[in-house]
Amino acid sequence: MNPVQARRWLELVWWKAMAELKAEAARAYIGILWWVAEPALYMAAFYVAFGAGIRAGGVHAVPFLLTGLVPWKWFASSVQGGSGAIQANSGLIQQVYVPKAILPFIVMVINGIKFLVVLALLLLVLAAMGYPPEPVWVALPVVMLVEFLLIVALGSLAASILPLLPDFKLIVDNGLIMLMFLSGIFYDVDKLPPAAAAVLRLNPMVWIIKAFRSVLMEHAWPRWDTLLAVAVFSLVVYALALAVLRAYDRHYTKLMVG
Amino acid sequence: MGVCYTRRSGLMRSSKFWALHDVSFDLMHGETIGIVGHNGAGKSTLLRVLAGILAPDLGQMVMHGGRASLLSLQVGFIPYLSGRDNVVLSGILLGLTRRQVLARMDDIIDFAELGDFIDEPMRSYSSGMKARLGFAVAFQADPDVLLIDEVLGVGDAAFRAKSAAVMREKINSDKTVVMVTHSEETVLELCDRVVWIDHGVTRKVGPTREVMDEYRASVPAPVRRGQGGRP
Repeated sequence: MNPVQARRWLELVWWKAMAELKAEAARAYIGILWWVAEPALYMAAFYVAFGAGIRAGGVHAVPFLLTGLVPWKWFASSVQGGSGAIQANSGLIQQVYVPKAILPFIVMVINGIKFLVVLALLLLVLAAMGYPPEPVWVALPVVMLVEFLLIVALGSLAASILPLLPDFKLIVDNGLIMLMFLSGIFYDVDKLPPAAAAVLRLNPMVWIIKAFRSVLMEHAWPRWDTLLAVAVFSLVVYALALAVLRAYDRHYTKLMVG
Repeated sequence: MGVCYTRRSGLMRSSKFWALHDVSFDLMHGETIGIVGHNGAGKSTLLRVLAGILAPDLGQMVMHGGRASLLSLQVGFIPYLSGRDNVVLSGILLGLTRRQVLARMDDIIDFAELGDFIDEPMRSYSSGMKARLGFAVAFQADPDVLLIDEVLGVGDAAFRAKSAAVMREKINSDKTVVMVTHSEETVLELCDRVVWIDHGVTRKVGPTREVMDEYRASVPAPVRRGQGGRP
């Protein structure tokens, strides 16, 4: 792929992401307010559902929950959305050639922008609850970047497999639900029995969420070694995803017909 | 060169459908080739292979430099966005850079005869307006090899005449064109050579008159309508 082409695909990713965000804003009556309202409702739902447990956990419980839920929502929406990216664009890819690898990437950009909006809101809420900005917050972009790598890797892998094995969607959807309860959002992983904790620590999102909490709640640098491990894991998975996407690049279209 | 579609026909079962079985021909720079054949012969599939949208399952397609694109109308259009935004999106999808699209924007709006409507959301457009804009963008895309699937002109009578006229001009220029059409008139008028595809196989490739005479002779008389009853 030469540089001119590469630039065109990047332009397409950005422009299509912007186009879809604009279209979303135009579609809903309250427009972009929905990007704040939806996560707010989502978090309120959990607060209500786990209400007793959270309030019993003391004053720190709400920030603890939110610093887990916001990164998680970003992860889950992106991976789920990305996984269906090729199918969602089946009409388009029958008419023009588009490298299939950019289709999940467009979803990631869209969700990334929405996440930034919610994150800003989260930071405001935390500041209001007694967790004002600290110098360690400069580590946030790094944590976000690592989560982005993880999201792109898993989302692209799911996107590459789903057209070939549509039943895999069941695994993606239910896997995400399961993973939500195994990521230390509602509890502290370190307080679990050692055997359980060891298994959970294999989940990269556990480390991402811990990193967010380190920075935002404990005013401490995140554990760089764990972030590096997640980043390396993500790059390996992404390399695999790209290999599949390239191999089937001009064959996916045949599976979408009929 | 062959192309196979896999269709799922039950639990764990799928059937293979060979849209193209054995198609071979060469395409020279600057010539206009017509593709003829009965419905379902595989012509659209062939165009998609040439456009790089599908990869062949058998054999190969070799492009010596340049880009081939289908003349695709209204590609990527999002109804909630304005015509202007959709032009940029469609233009990039069809192979232009954003800068190139913006440079041609005025020409596109003029050709589509949309005026101020260009900044209105496309869902407020009539189907004629959408068709005109779709054509105006596609026409500006200008790939090295132009692939046309049946459509020369769109819209109401006046616009169809206009769009077909500019298409003819483009085809007659030194553009390399591959055209799928059922209209014998069009083939005789515009094509230098013809590829006749029958049930996924190239039946004959050669100069227009030669192939069309044979093709016409092979089609049973009662099925042919509106062909002028040539002997």
